[in-house]
Amino acid sequence: MTAVRRTILPDPPARRTEQRQVGGAVASILDICRWLADSGLATRLRESDNLFSALEAAHVIGIVGVAGTIAIADLRVLGLLLKTVPVAEVLTPLAKVAWGGFALMAATGVPLFCAEAAALYANGAFWAKLALIAAAGLNQWLFHHHLAREMARPPGSLSVAAPARWSAAASLTLWMAIIISGRAIAYV
Amino acid sequence: MFERVDAGLLPLCEYVANSWLGTHMKASRWAFAITEMVHLIALAILGGGMLTTALCASGAIWKGRPLYAVTRDLAPWIATGLGMLVASGALLFADGPLRYYANGAFRIKLALLIAAVLVGLAAMRAAATASRARSNHPILTVLVLCDALLWLGVGIAGRVIGII
Repeated sequence: MTAVRRTILPDPPARRTEQRQVGGAVASILDICRWLADSGLATRLRESDNLFSALEAAHVIGIVGVAGTIAIADLRVLGLLLKTVPVAEVLTPLAKVAWGGFALMAATGVPLFCAEAAALYANGAFWAKLALIAAAGLNQWLFHHHLAREMARPPGSLSVAAPARWSAAASLTLWMAIIISGRAIAYV
Repeated sequence: MFERVDAGLLPLCEYVANSWLGTHMKASRWAFAITEMVHLIALAILGGGMLTTALCASGAIWKGRPLYAVTRDLAPWIATGLGMLVASGALLFADGPLRYYANGAFRIKLALLIAAVLVGLAAMRAAATASRARSNHPILTVLVLCDALLWLGVGIAGRVIGII
């Protein structure tokens, strides 16, 4: 029942842009966002309600795929779900499904961003979402770093050490925050 | 019969629209936004549980594990998602009941939702029977896969509500 509330925000003032060197010419992130927003693909997406909505729907399915399966893996690590199944047996196949969901989320997220790049540049919730995704990725890397030690334990081990459990709790929190910030993009 | 149910729904929608909840949801921008966020989190909880169970039923993951055990283990998680989804969905409905009443996609979503819950309950019953017999029954696999497809339909119909 998530109603479409697409908000096209006005372009932010140029003086707020962060300057950076790109290929010898001084370009700002805002310039890149404006260039993306003016591209043919972005214009086509903005003008086509059905294409934009289909991409949004696929983006939500991707988020459900990645966040939903990661949540089950995290709850297993925390010992709250699938308690009788060995940790590695839960995590290995679910990681593949989560990557599939992430690929769908990213593949649909990029064109959705291009369509409203200039407006999203000034949207705090959008940057918060990107930062949270980066934090979730880093946490996932740390999680697997700790889990590699767990894998060395006897096969079929039903419990995990504290660092991996903390990592799982952080992962649950981060993915919930990603969903919240993603939805907040339309409201701030 | 459907016409009688339909005629009874309109006064109910008018009542919800004029209720304290309806006027509050319409007036408060953040009440709707926060409810939408909870709705999406619930969708991820339920969707993750359904996807995992369906992948197990199709043999894509956990081939050696009995489906009835996975269904039984994930049932509380899926039920949590369903409870949150229905509660937040009811609040979102209160934002514009007359608008939703006239929306064809909303009606399809509700019909699919009822079918998904009924098939889910049948799957739970089949899982309990299979658990007692300690052996999987093909009907459980069929029910789990049908339920996952119905939930996918619920999600797609939900997105279409905002378009038409």
